[in-house]
Amino acid sequence: MTTARPVPRAMTAARRSNMRKLAALSALVLVAAVLYMVVDVNFSNEKLMRYSMRIRAPKLFVMLITAFAIGGASIVFQSIINNTIVTPCLLGMNSLYTLIHTSVVFFLGSGSLFASNANVSFAVDLVLMGIVATVIYSYLFKKTKHNVLYVLLIGTVLTSFFSSMQSTMTRVMDPNEYDSLLATLVASFSNINTEIIVFSLVVLAAVIFALRRELALLDVLTLGKDQAINLGVDYDRCIRRLLLGVTLCIAVATAMVGPISFLGLIIANLSRQLLKTYRHSQLIAGSALFGMLVLVGGQAIVEHVFSYSVPISVFITVGGGLYFLYLLLTNRRR
Amino acid sequence: MFVRELTKKYDGKTVVDGVSFEIPKGAVISMIGPNGAGKSTVLNILSRLIARDSGLVDFDGTDIARWKSRELSKRLAILTQTNNIQMKLTVRELVTFGRFPYSGNRTTAEDERIVSQAIAYMELEEFEDRFIDELSGGQRQRAYIAMVIAQDTEYILLDEPTNNLDIYHATNMMKIVRRLCDELGKTVILVLHEINYAAFYSDYICAFVDGKIEKFGPVKEVMTKETLGRIYNVDFEIMEIQGKPLSIYY
Repeated sequence: MTTARPVPRAMTAARRSNMRKLAALSALVLVAAVLYMVVDVNFSNEKLMRYSMRIRAPKLFVMLITAFAIGGASIVFQSIINNTIVTPCLLGMNSLYTLIHTSVVFFLGSGSLFASNANVSFAVDLVLMGIVATVIYSYLFKKTKHNVLYVLLIGTVLTSFFSSMQSTMTRVMDPNEYDSLLATLVASFSNINTEIIVFSLVVLAAVIFALRRELALLDVLTLGKDQAINLGVDYDRCIRRLLLGVTLCIAVATAMVGPISFLGLIIANLSRQLLKTYRHSQLIAGSALFGMLVLVGGQAIVEHVFSYSVPISVFITVGGGLYFLYLLLTNRRR
Repeated sequence: MFVRELTKKYDGKTVVDGVSFEIPKGAVISMIGPNGAGKSTVLNILSRLIARDSGLVDFDGTDIARWKSRELSKRLAILTQTNNIQMKLTVRELVTFGRFPYSGNRTTAEDERIVSQAIAYMELEEFEDRFIDELSGGQRQRAYIAMVIAQDTEYILLDEPTNNLDIYHATNMMKIVRRLCDELGKTVILVLHEINYAAFYSDYICAFVDGKIEKFGPVKEVMTKETLGRIYNVDFEIMEIQGKPLSIYY
């Protein structure tokens, strides 16, 4: 008898093919990024070139971070709730962030330190968001016993509830306050909040570092609560911490580029369809890369083909909406 | 492993009411009883899936709540009926998860050997690279059992393992349970609805009524006309086939 059978061929073959797919995706992202940086740049004139770079480089950077934050958060969130058609944004997490951001200005005034300094204001938002969202969503999961249809229904109601509260506040707000709020509120890909890039990076790095042990448990979590506990996972604590991480990632993304509801859904599911695995290291990488491709490629098209006439979020929402319907109709055979 | 004065309430309603018993080692113990008698709840408390309200669950001299979850998962495995996986997972990958308590995500050559053994034991070799959601109910159940075997625990807890299986697969399942005990030396505790499976394949029967233990003992002591009649409120006749008591109810 041979001592031990090596890892079966099929498994390594699947993994190798996934690695190739991820490499191909990375190459596409690289191409998109280079195109985004060089198309229509006047390289003969150094001043003009430097000007374009100064505008494009931070934008590109923010798009890459956002794609990673949303892509990672969506995959993790789906594994927490054990369903692949739900994403944090679909359940109103980004509306909640917008609401929190507005409330801070509303109650403390735009002149206060908490609102006027971009980084301090962002920190306040993050802390509030971390607490409020973790409480709301873990309560929601517990109450509905992870029944995805209830979660989705309540999430949809929450989304409009948060948005209505937010718009009520802006309506009764002092016009001057509103004016200063608007600048940070309507962040979009054409109006990226670059002041908080460094802070955002620190937050994301801290989240990943703090959750490194829970992230390694994600594969087991996909077996469901009972099996995860059976295999020795401290389930409730693990879920709570991961949910907090997801919340912070969504907050970071929303703060930098504003709400983009369907992006997470698209890229997380594309990644799952392409890689057909349960391994989260691959799924998260795939999701992040798809996100980068969609954002950078989409933004390049928006800027150079449509000359800014249609914002990228419109494409994402239309495409994502259709994709969501498709997933709902094909996935619900159970 | 023993239990003292175990109590559990749901919304003020007592489901498990002061239950005490000791689990004999190296035997198959079936928990039977009418719906809502608390047998599944007790099984889930034994396996730490549900928290109890009061009482003691002693496992190897230490209360189950004070065990490190990871350590406990090397000694005791549970299989419930709520196993709907949304991910693309092959049989071999599922069985490999049984090694998680020992090696985490990085399996060793030794783990792979144990996984292959477990798959062979459940005769799943030809399916090992198939996705779980492409299997039939019986095959999927066997894949989960293989995972539990790979987990290599002394105790195996099964919550209604024959549920949703036809007679052929259910009988096979019970034979597997017997082999787990006879060949691999496991202590198997299972919740069953079918009394005759319990009678034919287990060593002990623990009968629940209204959250209390009505009778716990060797199969022959529990399988009497009077006891079964008290448990289910139905008339029973007991026959003997292959030296085992089987019941007829109507």
